[in-house]
Amino acid sequence: MSLFGRGAPTPSGAVNQERIEMAINEIDMVSDVFNRIVSSCHSKCISPRYAEGDLNKGESVCIDRCVAKFFEVNKKVGEKMQSAGANA
Amino acid sequence: MDKPKSGIRAALEYTGIPQSWLSARPRLPSRNWLIFIALTSSVLSYYTYDRHQARKIRASYIDRVKHFSEEPMKSSELPRKVTVYGAKWPGDEDHQRATRFFKKYVKPILVAAAIDYDIVATRQLGDLTRHVASSVVNQRRNALGIDRPPASPINLPNKLSEEQQRTRELEGGIILVGRHTLKEYMAGLERGWSGGLEKVDREEHLAQELAADGTFDEVEEGKSPVGVVHDPEAEPIPTSSRLPPSRNTALLPPLVLSKSPSIPDATSEPLVVDSPPSTLPPQPPLLLVPFTNHIGFRYIPHMIWSFFNERDRVRAGAESAYALVMGQTRDFRGPDSLHSDDTLLQEARKSTESSTASGVQDSVQGGDLDFMLWSEKLIKPHSPLSSISDARKSYYSTLPSRLATARQLARGEREMTKEEEKNPPASEVELRAERLAKESKWRAQEEGWNIVRPGTGVRWAEMFRGVLKVFKTPEEDGGSTEAGGV
Repeated sequence: MSLFGRGAPTPSGAVNQERIEMAINEIDMVSDVFNRIVSSCHSKCISPRYAEGDLNKGESVCIDRCVAKFFEVNKKVGEKMQSAGANA
Repeated sequence: MDKPKSGIRAALEYTGIPQSWLSARPRLPSRNWLIFIALTSSVLSYYTYDRHQARKIRASYIDRVKHFSEEPMKSSELPRKVTVYGAKWPGDEDHQRATRFFKKYVKPILVAAAIDYDIVATRQLGDLTRHVASSVVNQRRNALGIDRPPASPINLPNKLSEEQQRTRELEGGIILVGRHTLKEYMAGLERGWSGGLEKVDREEHLAQELAADGTFDEVEEGKSPVGVVHDPEAEPIPTSSRLPPSRNTALLPPLVLSKSPSIPDATSEPLVVDSPPSTLPPQPPLLLVPFTNHIGFRYIPHMIWSFFNERDRVRAGAESAYALVMGQTRDFRGPDSLHSDDTLLQEARKSTESSTASGVQDSVQGGDLDFMLWSEKLIKPHSPLSSISDARKSYYSTLPSRLATARQLARGEREMTKEEEKNPPASEVELRAERLAKESKWRAQEEGWNIVRPGTGVRWAEMFRGVLKVFKTPEEDGGSTEAGGV
């Protein structure tokens, strides 16, 4: 999972075209991961019937664990694919 | 008989069922079939009954704690978090038995009560002791100010201060699955709190110790190669000067990496107070979960019995989890408490007969330290010491020849043979690294076995008194004979 601080922006505009591309791709990836997490953990952890807007403790714990597991798996899969891409 | 049945008879008459079937006298199956049906159905129905009861028990405990999870929670709050330790049972290749017991029998109730858990993985005998000892040493060093945790550049809004983290730990709890885990945990606590404050890099120490052996020395002409761990008497020159420089490269990385980023102030480690404190800071309460693991041929009847009686384990696990959820604690009973939590032991103590409990009698310590003392006899036949010594013998007997090969090939004294080109033999550096890995594994196992084996009690120090707490079930009264925390 890379963070935004990777490609440091420089003042000049034209040279950074690739960096802008990279940044756009990164934003796309991160928001894609985020959307997946939201939909997947919501469907798993939050029951469709509820009476109040606040999360209760069970749902909170479930969401914590769901997000943690998702990130772990995402990282592992990314590493595997990188090594597979490097080898093949 | 014809008249009343004529309705059914008439209806079925035209379905094509042969008349003889409809008019036949009902008969029992033959004797052999009856025996078969009786046996099969009794086994199946006992299994079904057991699993049905197990589900009911689990559901009843879940219903009792469900209401905790329905309380609302703000997104800035954190749930209660417990740490789960399940050490490796000696003799079992599967190091996750205790962890799986937790996941199957204790976790469902914790999940239903919205309590977060953190399972700490320990793979080998003694891993938990080392882990606890090093974390205690880190804690002491942080408290004394020797180490400062690095301040992260990003200031996260939900990052807890140290005090808040400490409070969270204390509210949480520690789950110890089985007596062996309790032993390892207490040994780790004792080692951490009564040991010194310096950070021990086990790998580096072991590497230095192994290098001081004569095992990797040059073989003298006409003298037998050294294959054993002690220093050879026949070595005339001090070993350090004779070793080739390549030796140090294998040791340098551990030496370099173990140096922590140097703190510029003048406090060197021996200067700081090393003496163990007289009493510990408050510790999170412990939950002692009864867990046994039957390993070996002689315990196959026990395994079959426990397969058909899973409801006992479900009840035990659920009871422990319920005690944790309710959060009522009592003091950990030390060695001189009169109340021993092991029912079998209490009876044995009352009677003067010590025939059945002879081995166990010797290690009675009293109080919570006797938690599941009877389960030690299950561990007794599984000492790893003999297999370790066999492995050591065979390794050191083949090592000199492999070392000679490696040196010959490295110095170009001979060419590789066909087989060697296909499977290149290990170089000297690899041999050293392999020896380091094997020795560290063997020593870790020996150390772990000495902590866990029957006969050694649970380690106890006076500084633990009054600081440790144990979860108890809410219905338990003072004179209960149940095992502590269950």
